[in-house]
Amino acid sequence: MSQLYLFARIGGTDVAIPTGEIEAVVKLTEISPVPRVPAHVAGLSALRSRVLTIIDTAALVWGRPATAGPGSFAIITDIAGHSYGMTVDSVSDIASVPAGELPLCGQLDPAWMPFAHKVVENEHGPHLLISLTSFVEQAQPLAA
Amino acid sequence: MDELLAEFISETQETMEALAGEIVAWEADPMDRERLDAIFRFFHTVKGSCGFLNLPRFERLSHAAEDVLSDIRAGKRDPDAATVSAVLAIMDRIGELAQAVLSGASVPSESDELLIEALLNGDAGGEPGTEKAASAAIAPANVESKRAAGGMRSIRLPLSLIDQLMNGVSDMVLARNELSRKLRERFSDPELESAFERLSSCVADMRDSISKTRMQRIDRLFVAIPRMVRDLGRDLGKKIALTIEGGDVEMDREMVEMVVDPLTHIVRNAIDHGIESPADRLKAGKSETGHLRVAAHQSGNQIVIEIADDGRGIDTGKLVAKAVAADIISQDKAATLSEAAKLDLIFAAGLSTASAVTAVSGRGVGMDVVRSNVEKIGGIIAVDNQPGKGLRITLRVPLTLTIIPGLIIRAGGQHFAVPRAAVVEILHDNNETLSISSVGGARVATIRNVRHAMIDLEDLLCLERAQEAGKRTIIVIRSTSGVPFALGVQAVDNHEELVIRPASPLVMASGLYAGMTLPDNGQPMLLLDASGLASAAMLPMIDGEAEAKEHRGPVEDNSADELVSALMFTERSGEERLLKLSLVERVEDIAISHFAQSAGRWFVRIDGKLLPVVHGLTDAPEGIVTALRLSEGDRELCYPVAHIMDIVQMPVIPDVACRSGIVGGITVIEGRQYEVIDPFQLFASMPEEAVKVRPVRCLLADRDDPWMQEILAPLIRQAGYEAVMGGDVKPEEADIVLCLAQSPAVKSIVDRPVVKLRNAQRPQGPDDDSIYRYDRDALIAAIELAKRERAA
Repeated sequence: MSQLYLFARIGGTDVAIPTGEIEAVVKLTEISPVPRVPAHVAGLSALRSRVLTIIDTAALVWGRPATAGPGSFAIITDIAGHSYGMTVDSVSDIASVPAGELPLCGQLDPAWMPFAHKVVENEHGPHLLISLTSFVEQAQPLAA
Repeated sequence: MDELLAEFISETQETMEALAGEIVAWEADPMDRERLDAIFRFFHTVKGSCGFLNLPRFERLSHAAEDVLSDIRAGKRDPDAATVSAVLAIMDRIGELAQAVLSGASVPSESDELLIEALLNGDAGGEPGTEKAASAAIAPANVESKRAAGGMRSIRLPLSLIDQLMNGVSDMVLARNELSRKLRERFSDPELESAFERLSSCVADMRDSISKTRMQRIDRLFVAIPRMVRDLGRDLGKKIALTIEGGDVEMDREMVEMVVDPLTHIVRNAIDHGIESPADRLKAGKSETGHLRVAAHQSGNQIVIEIADDGRGIDTGKLVAKAVAADIISQDKAATLSEAAKLDLIFAAGLSTASAVTAVSGRGVGMDVVRSNVEKIGGIIAVDNQPGKGLRITLRVPLTLTIIPGLIIRAGGQHFAVPRAAVVEILHDNNETLSISSVGGARVATIRNVRHAMIDLEDLLCLERAQEAGKRTIIVIRSTSGVPFALGVQAVDNHEELVIRPASPLVMASGLYAGMTLPDNGQPMLLLDASGLASAAMLPMIDGEAEAKEHRGPVEDNSADELVSALMFTERSGEERLLKLSLVERVEDIAISHFAQSAGRWFVRIDGKLLPVVHGLTDAPEGIVTALRLSEGDRELCYPVAHIMDIVQMPVIPDVACRSGIVGGITVIEGRQYEVIDPFQLFASMPEEAVKVRPVRCLLADRDDPWMQEILAPLIRQAGYEAVMGGDVKPEEADIVLCLAQSPAVKSIVDRPVVKLRNAQRPQGPDDDSIYRYDRDALIAAIELAKRERAA
């Protein structure tokens, strides 16, 4: 399998993200809060001349208010013409997985259900395979 | 192959767009060989390419059209109206097919034959009534300019590439700003700085030219109009002369897209409802042919598009009757409406002025949609109605969607931007004309007797209010719904041109924001959406202004003709005074360093010129001076004041006339007395601006003499006289002639004072009236003498 995955940690959970969705991983500097938007939107941050909408992914998954601040790591991605920064606790590796994508076994925490359907395994164990797009799509109905 | 096909389609569509105007012009003048050729070429090209691409229907259609056109070219056939219509129909069909190929849809093919038959038989079967319809005379004024522009070389670029370039340049600007900050922090090295300056100006130039790539000639907006006017004119049996001006004005391509629909609608309305039938026009004493003028020009950072017809205009009486019938306003309210308010009803939803709904316009989509579309892009629409004579509709839209002037406001420790167009007024909350009351949680700001619903931005955005003592600022905001409301903010910080970009859907979903912007400091900022704020606040949509007008209406009208608006302000010395508002150009905060005293008078440096100042600033502390800029037309004055209090209505004649200096009298307003400034005295007390007196013109006769050129001429200019070299002007035009003692030129001059300059320090004899050439005083004295003689 030549598919590369970024292995990261969101809210204590190991996740894997196909690298095709990822533009970069950056350390956030300043975040300008945005009032009256869904709680998991941490705010706006400038990356050079682009403005990122920062989504606190852990907050989104667990339904908490965003806590991301300067110094958080964020995965930069473009979805439907807009740039987003998805916060992660840490990133560990970029690698391909020999076994490929595996079906999910066991009882998944309901919080994760909308975001993950498969797992990939590397030498550190299983990682939930997530798509960054789902973070934005899931967010829409809440916002309305 | 797919790529070739796509290119063929887009090329065809583009050519057709450009040809739409040509073909109508050709119909108006069938002898115009050049246009005929252009149309022929189009069909020829289509035929050629589609044979290659295997598009048989395209081929058949274009082949038929080409045949007919070639007959016309050979003089075997007349380009009568029916033929032109048939050619147009073929063109339309090709357009439809092209669109269908693009979208993968299908167009029934049987009717192709009908069209071709119609074309070959010279009988426009598909268009009954063509014969009797009068042909529309079209005179597009922009055709010439379009031809001229045809020679420019151009290439096709994907829009995304341009956006990418734009972003790149924005990055560069930000990087430059950061670099400049860093440079300032460190050390100053003039060499480095000048290199940086150069880089910086290159970046600025580049930003300008990149933003120009987004610009497009408004032509594109106009090309479809001639055809539309022709078709509509024929359908309705009206004769219309169309004039199009200003096709070379450029505007943002996105903006062009946004304006197409409103413009089309207005033009349709003008033809359908505005311009009368030829019979009616003759009855009304007008020429049979109606005139429609579409013109565009740039005004500042706005594009103004005017659509003017000489039709029947809008019958406001009928309009009101309809509005009442449609339950849009009540009968008794309608009676109190002003003419302008009546006219405004055409923008009310669900109203159409046409007595019968026609196929052309009045299909439920009315001027309300046009207005909301125009306002959506930050534009303004204005109607100038002359019943019986015509209607002029003016669209004012910003040059680009992306750059708007905005106010930067602060609330709860955050910055936000508000489009300036939405802001009616800004007041400090300690302003005396403002009172804020609250009842049962509802807050009302009463500004000059007009009640506005009020809300604090912090409450609206659920922000913590900054614990900062001091005055807050009230902004009166008028949203597109038209009802102004008062918004309390911590402060208004700045006024800037903002580059607006769309915010992500997550942010937009809140309905409060219109976009975001990245100012030079690199901190993203949100642009507030005025109407979104109003609806989020759930403010009752009651127009306090209209309400107040209703209440005061007649009473105020009686006295209105004796009152003028006046600015109430406090002098720096403490007196409260009034000044006629119309004299005040603007109020400005000027740094104290711009003021200076000279020859006993004070002057201020504003916008690169010196203006006289009314009062000196002897007691001025450091910092900023609030000053009025007054103008009487030619002359300007600067009037420093302590602060502005209000705008009030004052009687034209002061209650008590008592002249003292610039004060002309005393007026009582709301129980307090104020000194009224007499504008006449004010301007009379100012120093006369330097009258332009023609300086003494000294003719230096010996133009080839280096001493004259290099030493004497600069000396004379420095002393404030004009120096001209011999030969440039005739001696008669000079006031004094300076020449070398040995010069031959001297003999030819008779009626001008001549000063001879000698090389030797001492006179060469008792008769020697020359001056030693380095004797500056004697030289100046001689010129002064000539000046006095001239004056005498």
